[in-house]
Amino acid sequence: MDLRVPSGWFFTIVGLILVGYGLFEPGLQAPLTNANVNLYSGIGMLVFGVFLLLLAWRASRSHA
Amino acid sequence: MKLAPVDYIILALYFAFVLGIGWRLRKRIASSGDFLMSGRSVPVWITSLAFIAANLGAVELIGMAASGAKYGIMTAHFYWLGAIPAMLFMGIFMMPFYYGSKARSVPEYLKLRFDEKTRAFNAFSFAIMTIFSSGISMYALGLLLELVLGWNFTMSVLASAAIVLAYTFLGGLTSAIYNEVLQFFLIVLGFAPLAIMSVAKAGGWHGIMARLPANYTHAWQYMGSPTQNPMGVEIFGMVFGLGFVLSFGYWCTNFLVVQRAMAAESMSAARRTPLIGTIPKMFLPFVVILPGIAAITLTKMPGMHYVLPQNAAGGPDYTQALTTLMAQFYPAGILGLGMTGLMASFMSGMAGNVTAFNTVFTYDIYQSYIRPGADDHHYLTVGRWTTVVGVLLSILAAYVATRYNNIMDLLQLVFGVVNAPLFATFLLGMFWKRTSAHGAFTGLTLGTGAAVTMLATTVAEGKGGWITNLYQFPSQMAQNFWIAIIAFTTCLVITVAVSLVTEPRSDKDMEGLVYGLTHIPHDATEKWYQRPAPLTAMVVVLLVILNIWFR
Repeated sequence: MDLRVPSGWFFTIVGLILVGYGLFEPGLQAPLTNANVNLYSGIGMLVFGVFLLLLAWRASRSHA
Repeated sequence: MKLAPVDYIILALYFAFVLGIGWRLRKRIASSGDFLMSGRSVPVWITSLAFIAANLGAVELIGMAASGAKYGIMTAHFYWLGAIPAMLFMGIFMMPFYYGSKARSVPEYLKLRFDEKTRAFNAFSFAIMTIFSSGISMYALGLLLELVLGWNFTMSVLASAAIVLAYTFLGGLTSAIYNEVLQFFLIVLGFAPLAIMSVAKAGGWHGIMARLPANYTHAWQYMGSPTQNPMGVEIFGMVFGLGFVLSFGYWCTNFLVVQRAMAAESMSAARRTPLIGTIPKMFLPFVVILPGIAAITLTKMPGMHYVLPQNAAGGPDYTQALTTLMAQFYPAGILGLGMTGLMASFMSGMAGNVTAFNTVFTYDIYQSYIRPGADDHHYLTVGRWTTVVGVLLSILAAYVATRYNNIMDLLQLVFGVVNAPLFATFLLGMFWKRTSAHGAFTGLTLGTGAAVTMLATTVAEGKGGWITNLYQFPSQMAQNFWIAIIAFTTCLVITVAVSLVTEPRSDKDMEGLVYGLTHIPHDATEKWYQRPAPLTAMVVVLLVILNIWFR
């Protein structure tokens, strides 16, 4: 098992959930911040997740 | 703080992935070596991250933020002065002996190099320590979840223990290691937004420097005397006590971390495991310590209305720095991710303890003293069931902690210094072939005895000194560092003295175990960035820059 695959999927899914939540509930804020934390962190997670999946895909292609 | 449905979805998703990884890895287990040592086949980037994740338990995560709030940037010395030099030393100088000796555990190395009694001493003390450590961490987590989320203590302790049990029972050490990497990513990504936002809110690093006393934002300048800095230590205690004895003792001899490197696929990969691990480790303070420093800054900014809750003694409860910051900065969604990160840190810490306990119990206690000479399948079964027993004992320890708080305090003090004399034993054992078995055992027991005696006779911040109070340390940190120094020196001197008057082992028996009788690989065939020397040089340059930056 290539660990990058499950880790990649986990962060892709969490990223999508957070981005979606950030888009549909942009006004959701904690006491000390007025940034759309969910949207920005979600984008970060999504990028990281997709990056891991790409690495795993490249590795599996070169092995095949 | 209350979690929304989306937070529970993220938490559930994480549990599903963790269990799924364990399920997928179950087929890899055919022998006790697969279960307890990952069959020595794990890729190096995974062992490197697991190496640092196994140490990043919930107690450490909460504790580092708390220390950041209490002591400021000097807390980073646990990383920049302590862990990283020790990890480099481990990779360059010690790993060839660990991996090359074919020992399956740290106690087994002691058996090969010295004799049965030193192994027994280390195996039993280590087994007890892992059980209580994971119990204490379980207790800390249960308490925190009860306090912050109102979750039932018993429920959260049992549920998290059950999940750790499930995935380690299925996939053994490999499953624990793979999950530790996922947990590491989660901890970093889950808490990085908190670090960024809390520091930004506190006015950036310059704002923090302007609002806090200078000795909170300088790691080196105020170490002339214990009275100058919030940690209450002076430069010698810090550099020798923490930087040398305690950190080297922990990172070079604690089987919990050493086991991760031993699972690597080759000698070269095993040596690179701690070396590569230093790179993310170096930057962890920005994620785990900075929020604490930002928290204490925010309490000094009236417009923020941010305060740390009080503890029983009426002072600020620094251990709540991390969770109160989450409540202030994380809305539903990312809050779920942050809580998941906290759970993940707890699980990686606990799985680390349980897998190390497993191996030491199965190989060093069961196979050595209870039933030697059985077939491997028998030991695989024993290993699996030891996982169950280990988890049950940890739960028991967590309940002991709820009943007898003081005992746990005391145990944590003892665990803090117990590896210090052991490092002297390893240093002499690996690099001085004259070191004899009797010398090692006498030195180690008396060194450990010295540590416990000193804890029993000195007091710091109202703790320790349960026999008498001969000396008062300015702070617990100072007490910890100085006891480590004395215990290490005691072990070193006595081991040398006894070795000189007892019979050394013959060279033939020590091949592959000691410097001068072991082939040290040169790795000249590897790519330049895979060789230990260039990798180390790069890490040292980065480390010096960080230390100068935050001097």
